[in-house]
Amino acid sequence: MSEAIWALKRICSERDGRLGLAFTIAILAFALLGPLVSPDPNVLDIKARFAAPGVAHLLGTDNLGRDLLARTSVGTRYALTLAVLIVVISSVIGSLIGIVAGVAGGWVDRAVTAVFDIVNAFPPLILAFALIALYGKGSATFVFLVTVVFIPQFGRMARARARTLRNLSFIEAERMLAVHPVTIVVRHYLPNVAGPIIVLASMNLPVVIAFEASLSFLGFGVQPPKSSLGTLIKDGFVSINQSWWPTITAALVLAVATLGATLLGEALRRVIDPKSAGAR
Amino acid sequence: MTDAIAVHDAQLRFGQTVALEGVSVSVPQGTCFGIVGESGSGKTTLMRAMLGLQRLDAGEIRILGTPLQQGRAALTRRARIVQPIFQDPAASLSPRSRIRTLMNEVGTVLKEPHAATHERLLVILKRLGLPDSVIDKYPHEISGGQARRVAIARALLMKPSILIADEPTAGLDVSVQGDLLNLLQDIRRAQNITLVVISHNLAVVRLIAENAVVMRAGKVVEIGEVGALFGAPREAYTKELLAAWPSVTHAASV
Repeated sequence: MSEAIWALKRICSERDGRLGLAFTIAILAFALLGPLVSPDPNVLDIKARFAAPGVAHLLGTDNLGRDLLARTSVGTRYALTLAVLIVVISSVIGSLIGIVAGVAGGWVDRAVTAVFDIVNAFPPLILAFALIALYGKGSATFVFLVTVVFIPQFGRMARARARTLRNLSFIEAERMLAVHPVTIVVRHYLPNVAGPIIVLASMNLPVVIAFEASLSFLGFGVQPPKSSLGTLIKDGFVSINQSWWPTITAALVLAVATLGATLLGEALRRVIDPKSAGAR
Repeated sequence: MTDAIAVHDAQLRFGQTVALEGVSVSVPQGTCFGIVGESGSGKTTLMRAMLGLQRLDAGEIRILGTPLQQGRAALTRRARIVQPIFQDPAASLSPRSRIRTLMNEVGTVLKEPHAATHERLLVILKRLGLPDSVIDKYPHEISGGQARRVAIARALLMKPSILIADEPTAGLDVSVQGDLLNLLQDIRRAQNITLVVISHNLAVVRLIAENAVVMRAGKVVEIGEVGALFGAPREAYTKELLAAWPSVTHAASV
């Protein structure tokens, strides 16, 4: 806990960190509180089609008269939930696989590295299309495919760190004491791998948010009537001549969300990585 | 009596580099054995081989008559017999664990209740001149000298019959070096532990060891009783090594 507070203080001590934190808090608040102050995001009001931002609809309405504040807020909530879920699952699975490969070495390490190479050989979007073709559209497919794409990133980092740790004196001392290998992994590898993994996770959050928006924009992500930032941008883009605000609003929220997460991730990296953050 | 450690014709290469070549060493039980040589002579490699951390290309190492074996069961048996004290003791303590956690791990390995481990630990800490409060600290919160004593305490907690100390006085003040060597000697005698000391400091080996081996480029140059080895060296390299250490006579008084 004291380390978390220390990290938070360090993040707040620099401009980019403060900006990233402010953006992230704003986006979180928007995602959490938006639906409370706006109507149901799926209620149609044809009379109010393309209504401009105003008292009745703070961010205006879309082509079916649905409240854009509610839809953008729900879309943001959806994007953040998926991003956090994917990053958590892929970081946990990737870290465990990477640590096991790094600790075991030999053929286990070679096999895991080869699988990581194969997955990485596919551009993420191409792999996404292939998996969607196989398993169909939907949130579960999306979570699965992005998790598969991101596991090697976390796995590679965890493996590299584990390989380094394996030859350090304190790990050798634990082995010489005949401490159980699982205990060594849980108590001594995991805490020492966690720092870089947390940084990578925070850096990947905006990537997943943007990836989800890209797929939804192309029609492979969230399906109507659910809303996501990608579908909001796409739907708004179709009718941009009648109203510019749906696209601009959703794009702005996407920009703030990814920018906030990126700045926060960068700040966290500078705090945790001693090479760039200076000695603790 | 079976030797505590017997190394027979150890061979090891790292690529083209010869790490150990035809090294044969016997360490009698209950004695202190020194391994000396300049940097890159193979001292630490030999230590790692003795601990089973480094496999040999050829040759054999026996611990109390039993050949070194890989595998968890063999490691568990060996851990109760041989314990190392690494060159950088602070680095040998897990940085994100309190000393107490590290010590409790020993109890878990020995299948001993934590309370019993704690009791034994307090006795060892007292003997090593460490305050009880050290167990609630993280490794980075203690000094280098304290870290070395904590590493010794953890090794002793395993109740080993063989201790292998790599450069036990490295990085310590001269006065602290003397204290530590005396402490190791006292513990060795009191508990009839076989002590292997690896050092590039001839004074340390001369002061503490009964027998020693001089190594160079992975080979044994000379081996024998310390008095004879340092008093009347037979090999030119041993003479050179002694001549290169004008401080030996002064340091011997440490």
